[in-house]
Amino acid sequence: MNAPFAGKQGESAFARLCEELRPDLFRFAFWLARDRQVADDVVQEAMLRAWRSRGSVADTSAVKPWLLTIIRREHARLFERKRFKTVQVDELIDSESPELAAEEEQETMDVRRAIFALEDDYREPLVLQVLMGFTTEQIAGQLGLTQGAVLTRLFRARQKLRRQLGLTTSGESA
Amino acid sequence: MTMDCVEFRRAAGADPGHLGVEATAHRDVCPTCAEFLRQTLELDQRILAALRVPVPERNAAAVTPNVVAFPRIERRRWMALAASIAGGVLVGSLLWVSGPRASLAQDVVRHMAHEPGVMVMSSAPEDASQVERVMERGGIRFRSDAGMVSYAQTCQFRGRKVPHLVVQTDAGPVTVMVLRNEKVTAPVQFAEQGYVGTILPAGPGSVAVLGPTGADLSQVAARVAAAVVW
Repeated sequence: MNAPFAGKQGESAFARLCEELRPDLFRFAFWLARDRQVADDVVQEAMLRAWRSRGSVADTSAVKPWLLTIIRREHARLFERKRFKTVQVDELIDSESPELAAEEEQETMDVRRAIFALEDDYREPLVLQVLMGFTTEQIAGQLGLTQGAVLTRLFRARQKLRRQLGLTTSGESA
Repeated sequence: MTMDCVEFRRAAGADPGHLGVEATAHRDVCPTCAEFLRQTLELDQRILAALRVPVPERNAAAVTPNVVAFPRIERRRWMALAASIAGGVLVGSLLWVSGPRASLAQDVVRHMAHEPGVMVMSSAPEDASQVERVMERGGIRFRSDAGMVSYAQTCQFRGRKVPHLVVQTDAGPVTVMVLRNEKVTAPVQFAEQGYVGTILPAGPGSVAVLGPTGADLSQVAARVAAAVVW
């Protein structure tokens, strides 16, 4: 079996790859949790698990989806353990604003606010597509959905964002 | 038979970066849907900029796997984990405590995926008023001796608006992104996902020049970057 991350050389290669992927992993975790501290915890836990299981990875191109799967599971576990209280989207945004607003333009903050408000079912496939560059087929595999269901969610996600941002599209009245 | 407008909007609204053959055929004959696609791609750029939240700096001092490096993991649990993977943890911890690596080139390439089809050979210049608007918003000018500008757009990149041009050069069409807020200390060359490119230090920031894989940018990149007047 091909094991690109076995042995000392494999360790270094895995370390380098994870270092490259870390920003994306953090951002994925952040958009799952909508909380920077939780995202940090989730990524740390996920990396520990990934490090222990790196020998089982047979293909370097599979690492990113594999790490994202681990992050999704860690996030779900953390939620089971901590049972976070329900909070309003505005509270979430306010709690994150000082970190996120640094040097960002108002327009970006408006879009971020709209994404914050999206339901998980719509936000997650959108993050996987736009931020992670996944195809709809890959998203379906990651989320355990049919490709048709993914397409529907992506379409609705953009529709909801347009509505929240007050955007009209060509051929559509305000 | 091509798809109708409703079908097109469902397809483009779900996956604007990967239109199928039928959707592409419809876009080519329906200006309203072509405009819808352009607006959707523009929305995606704004979404991408919003999704790219700042990534926390890692604590450079905390290079050992202890409760300082992992403040939110319960100590007892961490000790149990550490004991079970003691050899691997030290190296593993370096993955996330030694500081983020810049991936400006990756971001530039990723940005390209959101505007497919603009980097094509063309003899038609971009509308002069559009070019002027983009330059003005970017606070730059672009000297025409580097080549004809066939596409100009103000794009969201890392949370900021940046000029994105396609310039027709001797080496074929190249994409130019003027990154006022992205400093590089030396030229960065890259080749990934079907693109080759160079990011050159320029003005207060940098200029990224990209072409399709196989393009020889060795001469062109410096000339195009030098044509940006800050």
